[in-house]
Amino acid sequence: MFDLEKEIRKWKRSLQKYEVLEEGLIADIELHLRDAYNAQIKAGHTEKDAFRQAVAQVGTAESIAVEYNKNRLIMLNRRSPLRPGRFMPALVWNYMKTALRVIRRHKGYSFINVSGLAIGLTVCMLIVLWVVDEWSFDRFNANADRIYRIYRDESATQADSTSVLTPPPLAEALKKDFPEIIKASRFGSWQGRLVTYKEKSFNETKFMHVDPDFFSMFSFPLVKGDPDTVFSNPYSVVLTEKTASRYFGEENPIGKMLTVNNTFNVAVTGIIQNESLNSSLEFDLLSPFVILLKEFIGEDNADNWGFNSFGTYVMLEKSVSAEKLNQKLPGYIKKYNDEDTDELVLQPLTDIHLFSNLGHDLRNRGDVKYVWIFSALAVFVLIIACINFMNLTTARSSNRAKEVGLRKVVGAGRSQLIRQFFGESILIAFFALVIALFLLEYLLPFFNTLSGKQLSLSWWNNPTLLLGFIGLALVTGILSGIYPALFLSAFQPIRILKGTMRSSGANPLFRKTLVIFQFALSVFLIIGTLIISRQLSYMRNIDLGFNKEHIIHLSIHGELHDKYESIRQRFLQNPDVLHVTASMALPTNIQSSPGTPMWEGRPPDAKMEIKADFVDYDYIETFEIPLVEGRSFSREYSTDLETAFMVNEEAVRRMGLEKPVVGRRFGFWNIDGQIIGIMKDAHFQILHHKIEPLVFKMFPGWLRRMYVKFRSENIAGTLASLEKTWDKMNLGYPFEYRFLDEDFHNLYESEATLGKIFQSFAALAVFISCLGLFSLASFIAEQRTKEIGIRKVLGSSTAGIVGLLNQEFLKCIAAANLIAWPVAYFAMRAWLQKFAYRTDIEIWIFFLAGAVGLMVALLTVSLQTFRAARANPVASLKHE
Amino acid sequence: MAASTRPIILAILSRGEDYGYSIIQKVKDISGGHLNWTDGMLYPVLQRMEMDDLITSQWKLSGESRPRRYYTITERGGLELQSELVSWRNVWQALVRLANPIPNKD
Repeated sequence: MFDLEKEIRKWKRSLQKYEVLEEGLIADIELHLRDAYNAQIKAGHTEKDAFRQAVAQVGTAESIAVEYNKNRLIMLNRRSPLRPGRFMPALVWNYMKTALRVIRRHKGYSFINVSGLAIGLTVCMLIVLWVVDEWSFDRFNANADRIYRIYRDESATQADSTSVLTPPPLAEALKKDFPEIIKASRFGSWQGRLVTYKEKSFNETKFMHVDPDFFSMFSFPLVKGDPDTVFSNPYSVVLTEKTASRYFGEENPIGKMLTVNNTFNVAVTGIIQNESLNSSLEFDLLSPFVILLKEFIGEDNADNWGFNSFGTYVMLEKSVSAEKLNQKLPGYIKKYNDEDTDELVLQPLTDIHLFSNLGHDLRNRGDVKYVWIFSALAVFVLIIACINFMNLTTARSSNRAKEVGLRKVVGAGRSQLIRQFFGESILIAFFALVIALFLLEYLLPFFNTLSGKQLSLSWWNNPTLLLGFIGLALVTGILSGIYPALFLSAFQPIRILKGTMRSSGANPLFRKTLVIFQFALSVFLIIGTLIISRQLSYMRNIDLGFNKEHIIHLSIHGELHDKYESIRQRFLQNPDVLHVTASMALPTNIQSSPGTPMWEGRPPDAKMEIKADFVDYDYIETFEIPLVEGRSFSREYSTDLETAFMVNEEAVRRMGLEKPVVGRRFGFWNIDGQIIGIMKDAHFQILHHKIEPLVFKMFPGWLRRMYVKFRSENIAGTLASLEKTWDKMNLGYPFEYRFLDEDFHNLYESEATLGKIFQSFAALAVFISCLGLFSLASFIAEQRTKEIGIRKVLGSSTAGIVGLLNQEFLKCIAAANLIAWPVAYFAMRAWLQKFAYRTDIEIWIFFLAGAVGLMVALLTVSLQTFRAARANPVASLKHE
Repeated sequence: MAASTRPIILAILSRGEDYGYSIIQKVKDISGGHLNWTDGMLYPVLQRMEMDDLITSQWKLSGESRPRRYYTITERGGLELQSELVSWRNVWQALVRLANPIPNKD
């Protein structure tokens, strides 16, 4: 059966596709079509035929639209006075007034909107500050793009092994052999130093040695002294401002003498201001490298190509490409040291902080991965805040519908309304920015403690930063305004004003999607936090295979090294002291390696990188390392001092030795000895690495750390009495000790920081999500007031209504978990790959995170729904 | 649309206000079906003429209770029609003279 109205509607839809064909124009053409149809019917055609003829007569929608478009183009170019102008200042004022009125009238919603955005912005700004700080490392150097660090690629002896430590003669040799290298400097230290000025003395751990080129390569600003002459006398020292004030207070430090290790003096020739500089090269005192050779390692080592202990930095000629130079470097070391198979590689200075993962690297390093992770987090938190904004604004759209309808009726175009709503969201974003700046001021100290940085917020005199923040607020405003602006401006005035528009707000599916996304993110962060903290506690509580409790360690540098034996004897007289021993490296992280050792029956081409430490008697006993075979170093065997080696099980396995291993020949460098004992495998390295082959050898000349193990009772008393003993010995060095287990904890500081930051973000994300959920729930409860009233009148219980209202949210939360779980699983599995020893990702973590998210959400929503369900139905229904 | 459209519409409206469908019908009747416009194209032209102040329009309820947009010629439209008539007459005369064969002068 032919249905004229249906056909006409269908035909109209084909016209509506063209934006230029406004409703009024279509109405004109529709009338025409009807007239033409009637005429065709009168002429005796069938209904269907008549309609077809009429449509053909009117012509195609496209051709009509093209003509109208031409008119519109002409119109745009000459606007009649009755058409709205492109920019109307009077309206801007009206927009402002409306926006402020909306904010005032709905204080609660506005508060949630603004505070949510403010928190999001604060987090974002904190992270921007942090990221900018991380990127700024070493970039203050004017020559940053021409300075390179030399590192050794040791992959010829061990796969993927590298080291930033190079021999002393390298810097000079490179400068001589390659004309492209115009400047070079070594950077290094040797043991801690006791530095004295009058009665003040400090143990300096950042007393570094550099070559005179250093000051013309790097841009450390000298506030006192001339960079060309500060090192003209080798026995000179340049201090940082902070260090200088430690020794000299208000006095002028230039020309003053500092005594090092009670043995030699250096004159202060310059002061460096490095407080605000982010440098991967850390130092408190700088002296010429020559002193290090003369006073510490011996001048004969100046040409020792095997003495890999210092950093080497070079600066290239302006036009030289580092890549070309890198190609010339293979085989370079062999020229000077034919046993050495390592290759040299140039690494850009600006890569050191974030992109470096080399052996023996500097301590103060970041990781570009964390920069990305935190940036992503910042964006996520901001997105959550924006989603809240969108959600609330669209949910409450019915309140603005009449305004939109009226504005359209009196001539507002859609683009004007879009601009109005964007303006509003940007205005709110700027409110949020102001609040965020206050919050930032307040939170920055906490964030600094958390991240271990010294960020300062001097945005008022940093135009780039200020502009950046304003840009951030603008982006936030636009981001959060997009959906509401498009959604609200699309309202059809006729439907609003007739009252036929459903007041359900935006598409509920879209709103649900936003809630799901938000909670998925929160659950993801909760899971991340749980897994990071579990890994952290796993690492801290793992059985290391040796006992690190109740042990303090002291540095034995300078003269202390010679007095070690007498200190040991005196300490042992204390009945609470169980053992005293010493070694070269801390047992928490043994890193040095003598290369491939020699052993009985070694195949000629066998390669095995072995870690080594030099220890004293009683080392095995002090740390309670279990033995599998043989014995530990003993004073009863006179040969132990020279030729005894103790290896771990992994070394035995890798050497492929059959039992009994004790008594077999073993050695490295030129030492030919034998294995006297096999230790059970233990973690003497950070847990990122697997247990590697390890060897202990006695070597009294190389001992740098002394360990004192005491009874667990009365620790404070024991320490006090040890200090008394120390002072009585008049050693000239302060009694400075650290607990070994603390050092062990500090190994995982970067993971701990990551954990804390994740935790804070998770809390914030959950909080912001709840803010949004809370207001959304209250909105929905408000929308359904009448429904709730009717349900109650019909006998529904409060609990039943709460359940009904919560149901919708519960589904969202469940969906959020479904999304978050797999994402979290894969992300955290990837993170855990970094660790050779790691916890399992257990299913209960996911359930726990889901339950926490669910509970928090339920609590938030119920606060509102309960209130709505408790309301007296009379109040909501009496107006009907 | 042909250049003749606007003067024809003006001429029709100079006889009194009218609405779209009726205008089209008159064009067809007067030209004996020789001027066959696609009906839809009339409306953009009317809009354009309204923009140019040649005509104005108003919604009116006609007898069949359906509102229709009636177009009226403006003063400016009248002037435009006069000048169009003059130029069309000139064109016509020129064409007629050219179409007659030129007498041979031998």
